[in-house]
Amino acid sequence: MSTPDPHSDQGAGRRGWKLLAETLREQRRGLAIGVAVGLVWSIAKISVPSLFRLGIDRGVERNGSLLFWTLLIATAGVVTGIFTAFRRWVAFRESRATETSLRERLFTHLQGLHIGYHDVAQTGQLMSRASSDLGLVQAFVVMIPLTLSNVMQILGVVVILALSQPMLALVALLPLPFVNLLARRFSNAIHPAVLAVQAEQAELANVVEESVSGIRVVKGFGAEGAQMAKLRKEADDIRAVSLGAAKIRSRFLPGIDLLPSLGLIAVLALGGHRVIDGRMTVGELVAFNSYLIMLIWPLRNIGMTIAFGQRAAAALIRVNEVLATEPAVADPPKAQRLPQRSSSAFTGAVRFSDVHFAYPNGTDVLHGFDLEVRPGESIAIVGATASGKSTVARLLLRFYDAQRGSVSLDGIDVRSLRLADLRKSVAVVFEDTLLFNDSVAANIAFADPNTPQDRIEEAARLAGAHDFILELPDGYETVLGERGYSLSGGQRQRVAIARAIVADPRVLVLDDATSAVDPSKEHEIRAAMATVMRGRTTLVIAHRPATIALAERVALLDEGRVAALGTHEELLRTSARYADVLAAQERREVELKVAQ
Amino acid sequence: MAWRQGVGLTEEERVTRDEAKSLLLRTLQMAAPFRRTIYFALACVITVTLCSLAGPVVIKHGIDAGIRKADEGALNLAVVMYVAIVITSYCIGRLQYLFINNAGENFLRLLRIKVFAQMQRQSMSFFDREKAGVLVARMTADIESMAEIVQWGLLQFISSAILFVLAVILLFFLSWELTIVALLVMPYIWFATVKFQRDSNKAYLAVRERVGANLSALQESIAAVRVIQAYSREEEQIRRFRASNQALYRSHMKSVKVSTWYFGLIEFSGVLASALIVGVGGWLVHRGSVSVGTVVAFVLLLSNLFDPVQQLSQLYNTMQSAGAALKKLFGILDTDPEIDERPGAVDLPARGDLCVDNVTFTYHDGSQPAIEKASLVLPAGQRLALVGPTGAGKSTLAKLMARLYDPISGSISFGGVDLRDAGMDSLRQRIVVVPQEGFLFNGTIRDNLRIAKPDASEDEIVAALRALGVLERFAELPDGLDTEVRERGSRFSAGERQLVSLARAALVDPAVLVLDEATSNLDPGTEKDVEAALDALMHGRSVIVVAHRLTTVQRADRIAVVDHATIVEQGSHDELMSLDGSYARLVKAWNSAQPMRG
Repeated sequence: MSTPDPHSDQGAGRRGWKLLAETLREQRRGLAIGVAVGLVWSIAKISVPSLFRLGIDRGVERNGSLLFWTLLIATAGVVTGIFTAFRRWVAFRESRATETSLRERLFTHLQGLHIGYHDVAQTGQLMSRASSDLGLVQAFVVMIPLTLSNVMQILGVVVILALSQPMLALVALLPLPFVNLLARRFSNAIHPAVLAVQAEQAELANVVEESVSGIRVVKGFGAEGAQMAKLRKEADDIRAVSLGAAKIRSRFLPGIDLLPSLGLIAVLALGGHRVIDGRMTVGELVAFNSYLIMLIWPLRNIGMTIAFGQRAAAALIRVNEVLATEPAVADPPKAQRLPQRSSSAFTGAVRFSDVHFAYPNGTDVLHGFDLEVRPGESIAIVGATASGKSTVARLLLRFYDAQRGSVSLDGIDVRSLRLADLRKSVAVVFEDTLLFNDSVAANIAFADPNTPQDRIEEAARLAGAHDFILELPDGYETVLGERGYSLSGGQRQRVAIARAIVADPRVLVLDDATSAVDPSKEHEIRAAMATVMRGRTTLVIAHRPATIALAERVALLDEGRVAALGTHEELLRTSARYADVLAAQERREVELKVAQ
Repeated sequence: MAWRQGVGLTEEERVTRDEAKSLLLRTLQMAAPFRRTIYFALACVITVTLCSLAGPVVIKHGIDAGIRKADEGALNLAVVMYVAIVITSYCIGRLQYLFINNAGENFLRLLRIKVFAQMQRQSMSFFDREKAGVLVARMTADIESMAEIVQWGLLQFISSAILFVLAVILLFFLSWELTIVALLVMPYIWFATVKFQRDSNKAYLAVRERVGANLSALQESIAAVRVIQAYSREEEQIRRFRASNQALYRSHMKSVKVSTWYFGLIEFSGVLASALIVGVGGWLVHRGSVSVGTVVAFVLLLSNLFDPVQQLSQLYNTMQSAGAALKKLFGILDTDPEIDERPGAVDLPARGDLCVDNVTFTYHDGSQPAIEKASLVLPAGQRLALVGPTGAGKSTLAKLMARLYDPISGSISFGGVDLRDAGMDSLRQRIVVVPQEGFLFNGTIRDNLRIAKPDASEDEIVAALRALGVLERFAELPDGLDTEVRERGSRFSAGERQLVSLARAALVDPAVLVLDEATSNLDPGTEKDVEAALDALMHGRSVIVVAHRLTTVQRADRIAVVDHATIVEQGSHDELMSLDGSYARLVKAWNSAQPMRG
């Protein structure tokens, strides 16, 4: 998506910061409040050592009212406490809000992206955009208001110190900028080391994972020793990179601790002599010390914030790569409407004219595919493995757009229809039935969550699923999926058919709906299919003869076009290729499936 | 120091005092090899801690003996001492990281190796029992949770404890009256911290759950994007995700609320304690019982009193979770493998009959036997097909014959040697199990073959591939046998993976092969090659095959029908057909299940 750029690193960096600025603009009110709160916090915080100084100089040394000073300092403590809490609260609220809204944007965008994008995108990658990358952004945003008030605190302290003892302030503050510098360098140095440790840990996890899931091989061949050697190597690698990280810590952390002490020594040495000379009070000396200590953490924090910002920018670049991808399949600017469905005439005429299509990875599938399906007719599409049968269904749904030619529904080019209108009119039962981690009823009512229960049950009955659903632990309310009840392949398939029926589509596509099913159970689904096909335009993509026989006509797909068209019997008589394809399929079916 | 979120520990996972004691003892025993490094590390930590305490003391001395008495010499001495302390602290500080991490990482490495070795020694029944995810978590998350302790936790814990004790002692010597004043706020800081830890742990568990729900909602929506778009349900999915996302946001904010009041309170307490020191200290100065320098030193030292208390209580949770992890890991180390080599084990003969004699086996104590009183003999070089309904016990019987499990009663012997008396190496060399799915490990094709025989020469590998007629197929890959298998061999077809698996077996050249026939179809391109390779591999060996195809069954010399955990029939195909019993019925069922022909 980006053109090669000689300064691509810099360019990408700048783009990341720009994105960050855009994101933050939405949060500007909250951030402004955060800064205001931080300001009060800094003032309260800065006042404390000064109050100590006055307390010691006036109260302790000169017999002033101790009660007054004690109460005054305690009051400053109350204010500091309240605003410490407030500042933290606001910072986290804003950063979590940023993270939450970005994640929603990402999710919304992903749901709208064309299928061609999802074909190549890796789920793991997308997941880490939404979790770890947004986590990095959050970690930075939370530091922004905190850092701003830290900066105010630093400025305030420096001004106070400079006003009271300019020379001493100069000497004492001299080492402190290096705290910031070191903290930033440390953060940058330790980050890759931490990533390296994580990478090595992941490799060890791989060895463990393959040893456990491949335990049959390991035990079968006595390969324990070989796996042990792999693990030993990974354990050694983890130790090596971890010690590398420890070396980085040892190089920076004691130094970061050392620098402020240099300032404290300067205060004791120079300040001490000044007190003896009478140019400074003991209270001032103590306050000076306290102020210097007060600067250490904010300075370290600023260094870390900068490093965090760099990481957040890099993360946002990755997030933006997703957000900047335009959906290749989208609603047309001026959509046409499908003609009304009337009870007198079937609607659902499908026409493919001269369709040419190749997948983005270059796999050439259809060249000049022509097919007309009459309203209410059922057609089986038959072809060898990878001949493009499923592609036909995907083009009708507009998962992809044909490179040449057109696909139309009821006389209207699918590209002129709103996606929602088109897809409400075409329902597909996919080869791999994906059910959601939700109740059976919700899975069936997927097309329309407001479907009344009786229509859900009617659809389930039509699909031949009602009886087994009633036998599930909670009937229609049984939760399915990874963390729920697991159905057999045939049962899942029938739920998927019921899901398609509820949508009441003009065109029904059954994409290899029986392939995942045990042949001995196939007839149950076949019965369901026969029921729902009645009186509805149906495309059946199939390879088992019994399934093919359900359709009124058969189209043989070969070399990207329709090679033969007619009834099953006609094709058996006339097309040698058709018999070949069926025989090839059948040969694979001939196996002993031991029936229970 | 950076504040860390609680580590998330449920009540059952908490370690009791007694458990903690034995865990600690065992850990120390295990860490004995690095004892010296640990002593050095301890010495470093103590030195650095003493240095950080010495700073304010020197300042106090400088103020009282130098500044207030206008003694420049004493002041200069204090400055020089301070410089010496700071430099010592820096140098020893650097060593401290190195020593601590050295001891810690060595300990973790040892733990990783020991736990994994013990896991690998376990028999199949252990892996049937334990979920794969749990075992992986033991080796990763559980051990990594200790890495935090190793990297900074232990250091922090020791130095915080020392710092606190020494600070109290020091303050007590400076002024016992002011020490009591300073300690006044301590109990409620302790209580507040303990409450905070408990609440934040709870809040963290809630956040963790929400994060999990949020991520699985995301994952589901990505995986199901085709169905969602096909049914135009994007809006609904987005609405649901928004709800889960908002719930996550709220639980984050709840957890922030917990820490918010705590940090405010701690900040306030620090200032309050200082205020009290100024008030009471000032009064004591007026009475002449303490010096101004003492009051100043107190204010400076106060943070040395508060910080360790906070750090100790925050570490408590980290320590708890490390303890919980150690408990589980030691649990694995204490699990003795059910199948192990006997002392004085012998080698199996090169050839022989495999005899199953009245064998009974159950997977779990007290449950239904998976195999009951089974007896059969497989003469050397013959093929045995095991058939029967799913779950009848045919796979179990095959696994028993390869000693992946030991029978409860009865015996299995090869060439007259009971398998339980055989050395593990010799056993795996004579009897090889080829699983149904061709499982590939990460690494090259060659690495994958060597899994079976780590010391195999290049010639042996080539010979094994040639014997199966698949040498060209793999040699033609872009990098030949050095082609990397990535992501469990997802670039290879199921048939190709199966070929690697068969070649592995050929490399070992066993006397007995145990095969679990694939139930699913292979891609047409490799199916013939797999069949040919399988034929070549079976040639001249005893073969036990868990059969699903009639063609396979018909080619066997003997057939055993397993039903309800017992061998109900055995004999040749013709013999069994003439019996007209279970086997004949199975063959009939197969014939009727055949797809209809055009």
